[in-house]
Amino acid sequence: MSSNSRVKTDEKTEEPYEPSRATRLFIVWRKLRTSKLAVTGFGIVLLVATLALLAPVIAPYSPESFFLTMRPPTLTHLFGTDTIGRDLLTLVLYGARISLYVGLGAVFIEISIGLTIGMISGYFGGKVDEILMRITDLVLTLPTLPLLIVAVAVFKSKDINTIVLVMGIFGWPFMARVVRSEFLALRETLFVEAARSMGASNWRIILRHILPNVLSTVIVIATMDIPWYIFWEATLTFLGFGDPTSASWGVLLWRGYLYLQDAWWIITFPGLALFFTSLGFNLFGDGLRDALDVTTRGR
Amino acid sequence: MTLRTYVIRRLILVVPTLLLISIAIFSIVHLAPGDIAHAIAGRRTPSREVMEQIRREYGLDQPIPVQYLTWLGKVVRGDLGFSYLNNAPVMSLIAPRIKYTAELMLVAEVVSMVIAIVLGVIAAVKHYSIVDALSSLGALIGYSLPDFWIALIAILVFSVRLGWLPIAGVSTVGIEFPSPFHALLDHLRYLVLPASILVLGWTAYLFRMVRSSMLEVMRQDYILTARAKGLRERVVIYKHALRNALLPVITYEAFSMGFLLSGAAIIESIFGWPGLGQFFVLIAHRRDLPTLMGLTMIIAVMVLIANLCADIAYAIVDPRIRYE
Repeated sequence: MSSNSRVKTDEKTEEPYEPSRATRLFIVWRKLRTSKLAVTGFGIVLLVATLALLAPVIAPYSPESFFLTMRPPTLTHLFGTDTIGRDLLTLVLYGARISLYVGLGAVFIEISIGLTIGMISGYFGGKVDEILMRITDLVLTLPTLPLLIVAVAVFKSKDINTIVLVMGIFGWPFMARVVRSEFLALRETLFVEAARSMGASNWRIILRHILPNVLSTVIVIATMDIPWYIFWEATLTFLGFGDPTSASWGVLLWRGYLYLQDAWWIITFPGLALFFTSLGFNLFGDGLRDALDVTTRGR
Repeated sequence: MTLRTYVIRRLILVVPTLLLISIAIFSIVHLAPGDIAHAIAGRRTPSREVMEQIRREYGLDQPIPVQYLTWLGKVVRGDLGFSYLNNAPVMSLIAPRIKYTAELMLVAEVVSMVIAIVLGVIAAVKHYSIVDALSSLGALIGYSLPDFWIALIAILVFSVRLGWLPIAGVSTVGIEFPSPFHALLDHLRYLVLPASILVLGWTAYLFRMVRSSMLEVMRQDYILTARAKGLRERVVIYKHALRNALLPVITYEAFSMGFLLSGAAIIESIFGWPGLGQFFVLIAHRRDLPTLMGLTMIIAVMVLIANLCADIAYAIVDPRIRYE
């Protein structure tokens, strides 16, 4: 009798339990904290975000004040001045705002399209899935940069929002594929069957039961894609397809390129900022992937 | 399904994909605001007669579906149209540039593949060792560096400051070389910088792929079996593990054709390398629409062929693959 109850309690402790949301967050945080690289990445991202937000407060000058042109770095102008005499440190700080806006904006569009298509395709399957995946494969194989250039060049719009929109429109297929494969696996699980037997509608199952399990994957992919969008925007503007009036890092590099031989600082500092930001997101993304135990490799 | 039917089915699928791509390219260009005839005429302000002539010549007075079909028909027959701005058939503008892009990409591809596989295998086999830590950190940095920026820095350091390598081009103009060998050496000096920049970025990617793929394979039961049989570690790693680990890497490589071409476009533009990428940026700036459409179509076809080859090679090499 006593041995019987003993067995029962043992069984009870082995029953899987559903950790609360706060506990799950805590577990992720604890795993993240153990990785020095992930913490460094998180620190860098936080730093860049703070600098971007506080740019008007901490920038030594206004981005509209002009000094001597193309002065090398000195104590009064730590990064030197640019081709038209603006303080480069100020411009780099303000540039962070544009880069973060571009990265987050494009990722937002990527998630909106990729998640929707992935959810529908993976959950409903069949003909819908086949058609959606054919489209996804098509967009996936398109050479992104040439098409971005075609779109921007043809539409003549050098507005930053157009670039963000176009990047998001070309950037979603990978997200859709991964979300789809997770939905495909999860829709066969017991908890989904249970929800369905209780009469939950398809959309309720998708949004309330399956989606929360897929979110960590979405977050990891999004984090890792942000530096790509920042790169693409910088590349497009650098090649001369961006908004020349904006003060994005790409524009600074594009201007500095013309004076490569005379002013090394103009290409050096915005590029370092670009590198530093992308390093932060990549480190953080890697750490997040390990902490959330997500596999993003493979299609 | 047998392998043969799989390959045939895969080949048949290329046709609708190509059609969709052609529609996409055609619509982007035709959805654009502004008069296409104006864009074709270029910067100069054309007279009404010229505009009329362009409209007729390019069939712009026809309904859009007719225009599309006409264009498609020509493309299928290898006629990519006529570039007004360059006053030459588009095909004749593109053809001489292919070899330069191919050369640059091939060199960069082979070199980065070799470095990535060697380092990736060492890093995975000696997981958590110094080599692993250093090469992983190096890959992370290489992966976070904007390629066009590092290209500028390289020009600044190696060409402007040190004067070791030429800034741009493919060969020194105006020099008689005593032998083809000297000409080749001269050409290689131009190749070093652009190829190295591409190698830097691609190696970082490939290394991460090879390493994670190797780590995964090394945990498999058949590796344990191979070791239990008493095989030497070298045989286990190179014959049993590496072969399987490379499968996803090679597919990934072929699938990233589009990405690789994009990288090449930027590097070619910066280093004045007269390949397809540089040409692409050039004509996009000048809004030479017929050429832009033709070149984009060619790039899309190249990417598609690479993907197709990857799929088929994968099916042949890996008997585990299920043909959907």
